[in-house]
Amino acid sequence: MILEVDAVGKQFGALAALTRVSLSVAPGQVFSVIGPNGAGKSTLFNVISGLHAPSTGHVRFAGEDITGLPPEQVNRRGLAKTFQITNVFPEISVLDNVRVAAQSRAPESGRLRSLWRRPDVDDTVLRLLEAFGLGRRADELAENLSHGEQRYLEICLALATAPRLLLLDEPTAGMTPGETRDATALIRRIVVERGLTLLLIEHDMSVVMGISDRVAVLHFGEKIAEGTPEEIRHDPRVIEAYLGGVDD
Amino acid sequence: MSKPPTWRVALVFALLAAVPFVPGVSRYHLLLAFDALLFGAIAMSLDLLIGYTGLVSFGHAAFYGLGAYATAVLLERGVLSVWACLAFALVVVGLYALVVSYFATARRGIYFALLTLIFAEVVYTFFRYTQTFGGSDGIQGLPDASVWPGVLIDTPTRKYYLVLAYLLGAWVVCRRVVTSHFGRVLVAIRENEDRARFLGYNVQRYKMGACMISALLTGLGGAIYPIRAAFATPDLMVWTESGEFIISVMIGGLGTLVGPVIGGAFFTLLRDKVSSVVDWYFLVIGAVLVVIVLFMPRGLLGLRRLVRLRRGRLPA
Repeated sequence: MILEVDAVGKQFGALAALTRVSLSVAPGQVFSVIGPNGAGKSTLFNVISGLHAPSTGHVRFAGEDITGLPPEQVNRRGLAKTFQITNVFPEISVLDNVRVAAQSRAPESGRLRSLWRRPDVDDTVLRLLEAFGLGRRADELAENLSHGEQRYLEICLALATAPRLLLLDEPTAGMTPGETRDATALIRRIVVERGLTLLLIEHDMSVVMGISDRVAVLHFGEKIAEGTPEEIRHDPRVIEAYLGGVDD
Repeated sequence: MSKPPTWRVALVFALLAAVPFVPGVSRYHLLLAFDALLFGAIAMSLDLLIGYTGLVSFGHAAFYGLGAYATAVLLERGVLSVWACLAFALVVVGLYALVVSYFATARRGIYFALLTLIFAEVVYTFFRYTQTFGGSDGIQGLPDASVWPGVLIDTPTRKYYLVLAYLLGAWVVCRRVVTSHFGRVLVAIRENEDRARFLGYNVQRYKMGACMISALLTGLGGAIYPIRAAFATPDLMVWTESGEFIISVMIGGLGTLVGPVIGGAFFTLLRDKVSSVVDWYFLVIGAVLVVIVLFMPRGLLGLRRLVRLRRGRLPA
């Protein structure tokens, strides 16, 4: 297992955002986490990626306990995350955005010699931008990109740190159905090409069903079901959670 | 980010180096130029923090003042070598800056600003209200420093070249920083600190690095001040001094390095000219600053852009 989430709980004051959530992701898998709004999906991602330390439970990545490590250390171990709300460097160019992400893996990074040596990562960066159709926009400021392009840039930033496990938090949020279809196909292709493991939060069922090997369902901070897309589609508890009461 | 070509910078420094030879330039002019360039260089060092890293330090007066006292203490004891003074200032300011930057960078936004201010006020209070270093009088009547034994920095021209050398050195360091990988990470931190962490950067370490470089450069600026003025007083580290550094960065243009040099020089000259005419000069300066901040949000350096826009050379 590349990622093991073991009985993770997270309390915010009196609110239990997550209660004893466990899941295991095998290398090469596309694993999706779905659930209605407020089910705790983003909290789960924040715990895995190091933004929040869990109140209970453990997170193991590639066999190592990473529970409570800060985001920069989690990222350095090969786990990269994108954000539901676009989170890029707005007033620098697209190229520099991805460049600074890729350079964090250079041996000079964080050392004194980073003052006079600039790691050359341009080949990797340009290839990545091309793959997402951002090659022509390389010199544009990130804030001038369209919404869809910013969503792609978001993924490029994460990929530039050469992760083994990619966490995508609603990558198609705010996209039109057409854009969503293209994005899903693109993500699928890149995951396969790079031999990545993908953990995905998604709202859009069509995305989840088309792309996932396994799906887990969160509801009020608890995991209520896990299985193949087909099993989930027919699970009565899932249908109840989505249709009963809580408005999606 | 503007990238002035090397030859243009070389030209500017050549012109500045020629100033003492211009007919009609008096002692007074040279010392005023000293103050202007010193203030400009310090504003440039502060720009590393404000303009590039997005950290507003309200405590740079303490780095400046400590540097000045470091020199003053040595000169007072007969250690006249400017090199010894600069080295001692680096040690003193470095130790203090290490403590300040460690604690201040652990907090963000306004808390960073407040912590730098509080530390600086503690230092000010110590120098002002204890007699350890002469209390409110500071250390007065210092002898001239020497570049090497026998060569004193005693004339306004020599003092002027001292500040010019300092400005050149500080500029080289600042350019090095902002064009390096390290500098790019600083800009990323300014733009989006959280995202930088999620890309694997230890943000606090980078912020500390930026603080240290900025503080040491400012301390060196402080260290040459007593060589020009023959004194160091607690007034050098009053918090309004920090405010004036910040204002100089603002009126020059954030994140441009060259802008703050112009801003600092402009501020010094403005203060000198207006204060020689009226005592309520701060009202006039205040009005000028309000106009600049309101109508030139990119600072004095932004004027250049505006002119180019008018001529249609830059796309809007």
